[in-house]
Amino acid sequence: MSSGDASQAVAVLAGLELLTAVLLAWRGPASSPRGPLAVQGFALAGLVAVIGVAEGEPVLWLVALLVAVLKGVVLPTLVVRRPGRTARPDPARAAVARPVVRPAVVRGRSRVPLLLGAAGLVVVAYLAARPVARVVTGATGQALPVGFALVLVGFALLATGRRSQSQLVGFLVLDNGIATTAFLATGGVPLVVELGVSLDVLLVVLVLQVLGSRIDTAFGAGAPGGTDLDQLRELHD
Amino acid sequence: MAAVLASPLTAPLGVALVWVALLGPALCALAVLLLRRRAVVLVADVVASSVVLLCGVALLAGVADGGAAVVTAGGLLRVDPLAGYLLVVVGAVALTATWGGLSPARARSRRGGRYTALVCLFLAAMVLAVVADDLGVTWVAVEGTTITTAFLVGFAGGRRAVEAAWKYVVLASVGVGIAFLGLVLLYAATRAAGDPTLSWVRLVTDRPAVDPTVARMGLLLAALGFATKAGLAPMHAWLPDAHSQAPAPVSGLMSGVLLAVAFGAVLRIQRLDAVLLDGTAVRTLLLVGGLLSLLVAAVLVVTQRDVKRMLAYSSIEHMGLVAVAAAVGGRLALAAMLVHLLVHGLAKASTFVMAGRVLAVERTTTIADVHGLVRSAPRVGIPFLAGAVTLLGLPPSGLFLTEAALVVAGLRAGYGWAMAIVLVLLLVVFVGMGRAVMAMTLGARPEPAGPPEAVAAATEALTAPLVPVVLALTAACLLVMATPLAGTLDSVVAVLGGAP
Amino acid sequence: MSGEVRVVVAVVLQTVVVVVAAPFLVGVLRQVRARWEGRVGQGLLQPWRDLVKLARKEPLQANGSTVVAWVAPVVVLGSGLLLAALVPTVTTAGPARLPADLFVVVSVLLVGTVALGLLGLDAGSAFGGMGSSRHLTIAALVEPTVLLAVYALSVPVGSTALGPIVEGRLADPGRVVAPAGVLAVVALAIAVVAETARIPVDNPSTHLELTMVHEAMVLESSGRDLAAVELGSWLRLSVLLALVANLVVPWGVATAGDGPGLPALAVGVVAVVVKTAVSGVLLATAEVFMAKLRLFRVPELLTGSFVLAFLAVTGSYVIG
Repeated sequence: MSSGDASQAVAVLAGLELLTAVLLAWRGPASSPRGPLAVQGFALAGLVAVIGVAEGEPVLWLVALLVAVLKGVVLPTLVVRRPGRTARPDPARAAVARPVVRPAVVRGRSRVPLLLGAAGLVVVAYLAARPVARVVTGATGQALPVGFALVLVGFALLATGRRSQSQLVGFLVLDNGIATTAFLATGGVPLVVELGVSLDVLLVVLVLQVLGSRIDTAFGAGAPGGTDLDQLRELHD
Repeated sequence: MAAVLASPLTAPLGVALVWVALLGPALCALAVLLLRRRAVVLVADVVASSVVLLCGVALLAGVADGGAAVVTAGGLLRVDPLAGYLLVVVGAVALTATWGGLSPARARSRRGGRYTALVCLFLAAMVLAVVADDLGVTWVAVEGTTITTAFLVGFAGGRRAVEAAWKYVVLASVGVGIAFLGLVLLYAATRAAGDPTLSWVRLVTDRPAVDPTVARMGLLLAALGFATKAGLAPMHAWLPDAHSQAPAPVSGLMSGVLLAVAFGAVLRIQRLDAVLLDGTAVRTLLLVGGLLSLLVAAVLVVTQRDVKRMLAYSSIEHMGLVAVAAAVGGRLALAAMLVHLLVHGLAKASTFVMAGRVLAVERTTTIADVHGLVRSAPRVGIPFLAGAVTLLGLPPSGLFLTEAALVVAGLRAGYGWAMAIVLVLLLVVFVGMGRAVMAMTLGARPEPAGPPEAVAAATEALTAPLVPVVLALTAACLLVMATPLAGTLDSVVAVLGGAP
Repeated sequence: MSGEVRVVVAVVLQTVVVVVAAPFLVGVLRQVRARWEGRVGQGLLQPWRDLVKLARKEPLQANGSTVVAWVAPVVVLGSGLLLAALVPTVTTAGPARLPADLFVVVSVLLVGTVALGLLGLDAGSAFGGMGSSRHLTIAALVEPTVLLAVYALSVPVGSTALGPIVEGRLADPGRVVAPAGVLAVVALAIAVVAETARIPVDNPSTHLELTMVHEAMVLESSGRDLAAVELGSWLRLSVLLALVANLVVPWGVATAGDGPGLPALAVGVVAVVVKTAVSGVLLATAEVFMAKLRLFRVPELLTGSFVLAFLAVTGSYVIG
């Protein structure tokens, strides 16, 4: 694989990641985030594989496989599924629980500000990545802003998400952005760290899923992940 | 005694101690999960804490005063004086919190095993974060503390607890994620300089010629991320919620050691900034973050109505002080900072444990609903008062001396304006928290409360052991005067670049 | 034949092909949709039959309608024909005097849009006004996307003319899969869907008063006028669809050179007919599986496509 081909492949895969990030910001409340997240994960895995070929590091093939399984299959599946107990209201607790006043029709917020904000964040990312791209040698430096952009867009998704699933999606995009930056800027962190990081991310998502279903139970949401997190207002000063 | 402690360790013994400290708590967790005997569930976390404390003391004694650092696992783990000291902090504070938080009732309950196992894993994660030399491993461990504490924060169940747990996990993971982005950039900078590494000691000794812009970005992001976990404002939003909702011993652990462990990572980053660059970026971050934390704490302690939230804001205040001390730098300020971490941890763990007993006895954590504890329940009220007074920094509390040392060091280093702000804010916190604590503990005994529903819990709280709290508070007052500590502190300060 | 003449021949041929094919394309869209929905369908020729029937009829105009009522259909048809001549469908060669420049093409599009909007307003009926207002709102949201998307495509070529852009993609197929190119084409495709009043922005086959946009504007037209308006709209649809198809799959288009020869033109005709038919089938299939968006959701869709176009511009400077 020539460096031109590698550079082209990196650009395509990075572009795919960016596209899926925008799609996730764009998606309506009813559509499942699983598809875009999976595509993003596989694009990241492809990126790792391309870098592995370009730099001649077979260990990156292993990492690519790990990334494909974890971010392409496991995590997107986890996000849309509820592990553990289903919502089973505890009668004792439900008696104590105050009634929640909810609007009869939950109207989704307009995604326009988020989408425009995402566009702005991408520009910020391009500016922020410039000094870093300078020190990166090889075919990958060009696409580095995509990693930064994913981090920022993920952050925006997380900050504006009103349901536990949306926040989780934001977290995953953020994490994919960090991983993209890592692979593009450094060809991957050491394997031990990579393994630890993957495990941590998996566990965090699991923990958040369980907490999400507990929130649904405690706040009496009908559908899984249906709780409006704006209801989480009991703790404040 | 001092001579015995200061004798250098043989290398294999040191390595063995590191692994014992690391695997001990993990094995305790395993034992709890496998055996599920009530006695095991009851004491496993105390055993784990004791193991960490003993290993920490032995390691610190071995590596301080000119002893060589203990290196193992191919250089991924390394115990230098700073790591040893933090191990001691972890062990001592964890022992206070777990011993003081012993609860046969919880051990009998269905979820008691899970609680103890998670506490043990939490300890293991913190030990790993402290003894890791590779910053990537440190990161993994710090993230691990979030994972292990998530369910502990939400342990009580109910809306408030899950809300706190959700916010805690989201904010902490994102913050620590930012830290990882910073580490990635740092790694990229070292890679461009020809020697890709995340090993802290190699970076400090080899001093690679990194690109200053990228390295500064990386170090700043890393410091910011770890500071989130250390509870520095303005990234502190998770802290009051998590600390107020977690069971009291867990609050004590998080407040007393988790913050210190995360701050240890910040200290390592600060040292890198000083070695690789000019050190101004992270110092400014710490100074601003520290003063902001003090301000936030001062404002919210005064208006606080919940005792556990008040203690949480007190933690933010103390982390703010520690950050300011780290920013001031120099031998005196750094030594004061290190002692402050330990003493605050001991006092905070004790006070949280006692606050848990206050909750059990009074069935409320609302400050305004608790009166005259010293007369109505002296076994709870007096230690609670003592712990709070120690936290406020009234002599003979060790915090009085460390705060005084910080101010002196700051004035000498030319941070007069900052020290003026620190003093004013400390005074505000002192008045606010002092008033609340006095209202709760002193004064007339209230007429007997309503029907005794939670008698069992109250009885357990009234008969729970006071020894750990007494020991911890005594140590918090007397440690600063211990002579062998001085030499040890000097070697820890040397790790952080404060000239002895 | 000199180069100049060849270009004129090519452009005339291209226009004729598009005019002949446009009603067939609409027939394909309707037929595919019908088959998906389990109906027999009316056959590919039906749009042509409709056109011929309408063209024979005398236009009736509502009371109080003005000169706009008979000028606007001509303008709509004229802008459609101009688009057919300018936009590279069969060939990338174009008249030198009036280049198929980005800004010219967008202006021509806009002239047709505005004429249609005025036509809807002219009769003063409630539905026409509602349709026009929605139509122009959507147009205002689409225009920036089209400009940005084509601009992003023009960056690697260094020219804002559509012909060289298509040629550039033919010469360097890597550009077709380059992220900036992909983002721009996706954005453009969404803009085209909105601009040509297809699902999910508008339902071309509805006469439900609350949702129709395009149909509301042409309610008052009849006879030859309606034929002109319909043909003009179909030309827009065909040209834009063919443009997107040519951008995604540039192969087969007759390149300019010094004016394409007849064999190249023949290939170009076949290629563009096949490409457009395939994209028409895909579009119709996608429409079957999609619901029309509520009107206040449309800005979200268009903002999304705008963001994509914007990313394409940013990306075309950085990652190519």
